[in-house]
Amino acid sequence: MVAILQKRTLRDFDWVLAFLAIVIVCFGTIQIRHALPTEGYWVKQLIGLAIAMAVMLAVALTDYRRLLNIAPLFYVFGLVLLVMVLIPGIGLKINGQRAWIKIPGGIGQFQPSEFVKVTTAMMLARYFGKHRLQMLTWKETAIGGLILALPLVLILKEPDVGSVLTYFPILLVILFLSAIRIRLVVAGIVLGLVMLPFAYWVGVKTNLVKGYQQERINVILDPEKADRRGFGYNTWQSILTVGEGGLFGAQASTEYSQSSLKFLPEPHTDFIFAVTAGNAGFIGCIMVLLAYAILLSRMITGARRAPDRMGMLVIMGIVGGLTFQIFINIGMALGILPVIGVPLPLMSAGLASLIATFIAIGFAISVQLRRFVN
Amino acid sequence: MKFEDTSQNLRARLRAIQLLVVLMLSVLGIRLYLLQVVNGQRYAEIAQNQRIRLLPIPAPRGIIFDRDGHSLVDSRPIYNVILSREDVKGRELNNLVEPLSQGLAIDAELLRERFEEIKSQPAFESILVKQDASPGDIAWVEARRLEFPELRVEQQPQRRYPPNGLLAHVLGYVGEISPEQLKQASYKDKGLKPGDIIGQSGLEQIYDDYLRGRDGYRKVIVDSRGRIQDEIETIPPQPGQDLITTIDLDLQLAAEEQLRTSVTKRGVIISMDPNNGEILALASFPSFDPNLFSQRIGTKEGHAEYVALLNDPETPLLNRAVQSRYMPGSTWKIPMAVAGLQQGAITVDHSNLVCGGGITIGNKFTRCMGNHGTPDIKTAITRSCDGYFYRLGLKMGIDGIVAMVDEFDLNRRSGIDLPNEVVNWTPSREFKKRMQPSSPEWKDIDTVYASFGQVYDVITPISLLRTVMGIGVGGRLYIPHLFREVRPVSASGPFEYRRARTFQDLDSSRPNPKVVPIPEVIHHTVVEGMWGVVNNGGTGASIKMAGFDIAGKTGTAQVVGLGKDVGKNKDHSWFVSYAPAYKPEIALLALIENSGFGSLHAAPAVRRVYDVYYRKTRNEEPPGALPIAKTPKAAPKEVKKAGSEELAKN
Repeated sequence: MVAILQKRTLRDFDWVLAFLAIVIVCFGTIQIRHALPTEGYWVKQLIGLAIAMAVMLAVALTDYRRLLNIAPLFYVFGLVLLVMVLIPGIGLKINGQRAWIKIPGGIGQFQPSEFVKVTTAMMLARYFGKHRLQMLTWKETAIGGLILALPLVLILKEPDVGSVLTYFPILLVILFLSAIRIRLVVAGIVLGLVMLPFAYWVGVKTNLVKGYQQERINVILDPEKADRRGFGYNTWQSILTVGEGGLFGAQASTEYSQSSLKFLPEPHTDFIFAVTAGNAGFIGCIMVLLAYAILLSRMITGARRAPDRMGMLVIMGIVGGLTFQIFINIGMALGILPVIGVPLPLMSAGLASLIATFIAIGFAISVQLRRFVN
Repeated sequence: MKFEDTSQNLRARLRAIQLLVVLMLSVLGIRLYLLQVVNGQRYAEIAQNQRIRLLPIPAPRGIIFDRDGHSLVDSRPIYNVILSREDVKGRELNNLVEPLSQGLAIDAELLRERFEEIKSQPAFESILVKQDASPGDIAWVEARRLEFPELRVEQQPQRRYPPNGLLAHVLGYVGEISPEQLKQASYKDKGLKPGDIIGQSGLEQIYDDYLRGRDGYRKVIVDSRGRIQDEIETIPPQPGQDLITTIDLDLQLAAEEQLRTSVTKRGVIISMDPNNGEILALASFPSFDPNLFSQRIGTKEGHAEYVALLNDPETPLLNRAVQSRYMPGSTWKIPMAVAGLQQGAITVDHSNLVCGGGITIGNKFTRCMGNHGTPDIKTAITRSCDGYFYRLGLKMGIDGIVAMVDEFDLNRRSGIDLPNEVVNWTPSREFKKRMQPSSPEWKDIDTVYASFGQVYDVITPISLLRTVMGIGVGGRLYIPHLFREVRPVSASGPFEYRRARTFQDLDSSRPNPKVVPIPEVIHHTVVEGMWGVVNNGGTGASIKMAGFDIAGKTGTAQVVGLGKDVGKNKDHSWFVSYAPAYKPEIALLALIENSGFGSLHAAPAVRRVYDVYYRKTRNEEPPGALPIAKTPKAAPKEVKKAGSEELAKN
């Protein structure tokens, strides 16, 4: 039995997915080293990769149904972590946000909100994963919203608006795949497209959207004219870094790059893509985008082949979260989206983000491994 | 998908999501193409420019020397605390006022004003926070590198002028190029930029191209806060060319001393070499301190000092030698005598004319200061007989006087190498028309006035001396000049070799000298008259030097009508001369404003300068030296002590 399982496991294990994820992380680690050559973030990232690979393997080889069955436990554990992070003695305050838990032993810190994304996706998948015969009801939608809302309220306390934003796509994708009425979807999209500029206009008029937030929007609309020393600074410097990359990457030595001269802020986390674009040029960037596209497609394919609704939903929830996060982060680096502190999955330096993403990939592999079981 | 339910069209919804994923990534790809491939070159340039900074290394200006190698003006390095433009762009400067004014002991209001001013100027390179910072200030800045990385200490050469306003009008001064100057092509074409220090007056202005060095720079890499990370290259500056002037410091000091101790402390003394136009001394009083412009103008006190100078009724900024016109009085008789003989109004053998104690034209009597009978031309000059020259003028007529003016270049600038020289007012029919539109016709009485240096004759001291000494050397009118030579500067880096030049190398469209054909016999006759002024009981007999024959002419320029010439409105006192009379070496002119008779004030002043010249060239006490009012030697010593370095013989 074990032998058969082993053989089937080897055969059905999504090696391409795992390999792709590892390659992206390794490539990202090189960029982190480029960004801050004198600091040890790249070493930590490699250690993180080792841990993440182990966790991924553990998740992949465990039956996802057993994990999803105790999803409420994970969910509650996640909430506990989010409460803990708010306690001053445990939670670490960086840049005004109490979003990290210090790991003793000098390894660094750990951001629970990244990890809770996975537990929330699991909880949502479990709730919406029952066999479905009819359209989504309002009651179900409301409960789904509540599951999402609990961690979000805690994260807002940190406060970390950027993280909060990346949670919504998880719910939206799961609702979409849980037979929400198409006309509601269409109505939502239309309303959103109409309301967004209107809401912004109202926000500006009533001063609910603050001056610096407006600046961050203005710099997107017209980066050349924006205040390049003020709130437009980050975006402008990121655009310069990306642009300097050209087709094949910048010629400037690492020592005098945009990031090492500190023109580009947060080069190893929020703006890791700008660093990559500067070093690897257009060709390198397209390769990265292609890698993400294949990775996400592989996961969607896995979801399609899932043996049950729960498995499909957990993968797709994660895909929704990842896609949105990739788009927000790179869009921000390319100056088409306002600056929001969101890490780029698999590339930004950060233990929690890395492990959480690998757990998610582990889930996808686990679901695929069991497509012929039952 | 075993759990699939066609009614939920799950397959289509999954495909929709997949499509959305690809779509979002494609949007990013297109944006990347625009940023990196389409506009990459431009962004790369901007990115490089923001980390590369050119820090100018100001070049020292050339030193200005006198003819014996005494340094008159030099530059000393000072340290300025500045804010670099690149590093403070868009930042709230007012937040810096408080800590900077306290840390560097600067008036907070002044700093705030400067910050306001600079905001309206789009092209500033850096903001001067404190000039001539002390070692303590520099230490303060260095200690706050982290707190205020945008502060920088920059070395700058600062011009140092001699104390007591010595040579102020000759040397001029340097100052920052003004926004108005920057708009002019003549400055722009030289590549001058805001903040550059250029000559703004005097020799500093006229010979700025030689004196000004070529700034070097340091090309450095800075980080986002302007902290220097590395130096890519350094181009050392090329100093300016040293200028050797024709000034003789000993004579200059003597000349200034005479003016300083004069009755009104206002006037001009000029000394020239009549054989080539080299100016040995040029003093105009009252004077000013050029260091005000090179060192203090940026401070509140300095500005107040400047305003006070501008409003001073005694006009200390004015170079009276070239920028003021005076009636020459009897000194005018010298060119008149030459022209009268040349034109044949009188001849050497028959030059006697009646003095008559004056002349009556119509019903108006114009008097002579004495009654000289029927003197010849020599006696008329020696005794300064007005009556004689009234009649000579009438014989020459206005046309003859105009021809004289033209011949001696009196209606033109002397061509001296100092800025803003004014043109004389000289008699002519047009001048009368302009001056008296109610009675535009030129009359005989006008000719009388024009012939003895009043009313229609209003000229600069420099042009008068040029004429008289030109007659002294037999009719060669040299262009007065202060330029002797500039020294070469070797090539360095991108800067080319700058070659030495002498006065002859400078372009001049005017003939130098202008030759006035004066027959020897006429020359001899007039010189004899001038010799007699000092040596034959003439109006300047009090300054006679045995063995060093001064030829000269006194003059008294009326300031107001006769009888009112007392106190502040006293006549200007002139003495114009050269020596020795028959072998000219040196020419000297003195004008003491509102002091009265020329023989009383101007002549002794000139004599004391001759004494200094005599001692210097003959190495012995001048015969019959005048009692020294204030030891002339005291002043030079004082100057030399005050700036032993700058005046040390080179």
